[in-house]
Amino acid sequence: MHIADGIVSAPVLVAGFGATALLAAATMRNIETDEIPKISVATAVFFVANFIHVPLGVVSIHLILNGLVGVLLGKRAFPAIMLGVVLQSFFGFGGVSVIGVNSVMLGGGALCAYGIWQLRHYVSIPKKEVVFGALAGALGIFFSGCILALALATTGEAFVESAKLVLGWHVVLMLLEGAVTGACVGFIARAKPELLAGQRLVAAN
Amino acid sequence: MGLDIDRHAHLASAIQTWDPRVKIFSLGLFAMVTAVLQTLPLALVALLIALVVLFVSRIPLGFVYAAMKWLIVLLLPFFLILPLTYPGEVNSEFLGIPFAIEGVRLSVMIVVKAIAIMTIAFVTFGSTRFDISMIALRHLKCPSIIVQMLLFSYRYIFLFFSEMKRLDTAMKARGFVKKPNMYTMKVVGGFVGTLLIRSFERTERIYNAMLSKGYQGELHTLVEFKADNKDKLKAVLMVLITLAIIAGDLSGIFAVAEQAWY
Repeated sequence: MHIADGIVSAPVLVAGFGATALLAAATMRNIETDEIPKISVATAVFFVANFIHVPLGVVSIHLILNGLVGVLLGKRAFPAIMLGVVLQSFFGFGGVSVIGVNSVMLGGGALCAYGIWQLRHYVSIPKKEVVFGALAGALGIFFSGCILALALATTGEAFVESAKLVLGWHVVLMLLEGAVTGACVGFIARAKPELLAGQRLVAAN
Repeated sequence: MGLDIDRHAHLASAIQTWDPRVKIFSLGLFAMVTAVLQTLPLALVALLIALVVLFVSRIPLGFVYAAMKWLIVLLLPFFLILPLTYPGEVNSEFLGIPFAIEGVRLSVMIVVKAIAIMTIAFVTFGSTRFDISMIALRHLKCPSIIVQMLLFSYRYIFLFFSEMKRLDTAMKARGFVKKPNMYTMKVVGGFVGTLLIRSFERTERIYNAMLSKGYQGELHTLVEFKADNKDKLKAVLMVLITLAIIAGDLSGIFAVAEQAWY
């Protein structure tokens, strides 16, 4: 879910840009040239996810997959999503003035997803990649929904009801994103596990 | 898919010949200011200016409109929600449903501002070749690594779309139909996973090819920018218009006029 231009107030826009700058600086420290290809791939996948439609009841909605980007890139997910948002704004999806807000919203969700994904090291259950992939996808988008609702609610009293509806809508999105991300992560874990972030080498014993 | 936003960059107009660095700066400022406007008349003025700039650039209206449809879908919920949920007194009625006229005003303003900004974004990045726009960003002190990642991603998006089309054809050929069930989710997950793995392996090959040709993380280009007086004049004009709009918005002269509308 995106927020378009012209909705949120100036303080929220400025706060969005400020938080984006801080998060970008923190997550892009010591970035190496050889990380560029992987980050760019994730950015492009995040971009095209908007064009993959999945039927849900009677409506068809598109994927967002910010949680998946978190699972793939770890903390570098933030710059990847930020650049995805920038590219989208060039194409007229999203908006120029809300690059900051959208980056914090979706990139923050990706970081949150990565945090959840890392928790898998503490449990031993069968198919834990699928389970934690699904959790990361679901909670990543839910976190984004919370930020979006917060941005709307702080813009003005007029948007409080809209914020509540946005939150409710993200509960629906959670199920969809969780299911797709879980399946996708499970597939990657079988086919090319080195693509996933935070993999630990299995001790040889 | 209208993703080649720069397809009208070859047209010769005052906007296309504008130095991209100056253009991105002045039109970007205009977009930012438009986003924070609070009065409807000035939002309409901003839209009018955006349309004039679009007209001057000779980028066809239909090209912008194609992307506008998506924006309208995104904004439509506000049109329905805001008038019904606007706090304060409910002063109007339509087909027996009470709604607040203030909410309607707010949603109209949102749509007007969003269209104005989108039009400007299309003019900014649609009137210069994408790679040149990115080099211009580099000149505007955007970090080199960010500019390079944008260039890579931009290229990959087109690759991924063609890859996606191939996968889609393969799925259809095997009789797969998307339905709202768990099986579809699983297949779509596999679809995204396949797309990722294939694309990543392809990108690694591209990257290695670049390394073998001497790529060391620097962006070398033959493009040179030169801002002459004409470029500067256009920028000054645009910035003055922008300042006038924001000054009018802050002074609140139109807020009074707007009250009289209702």
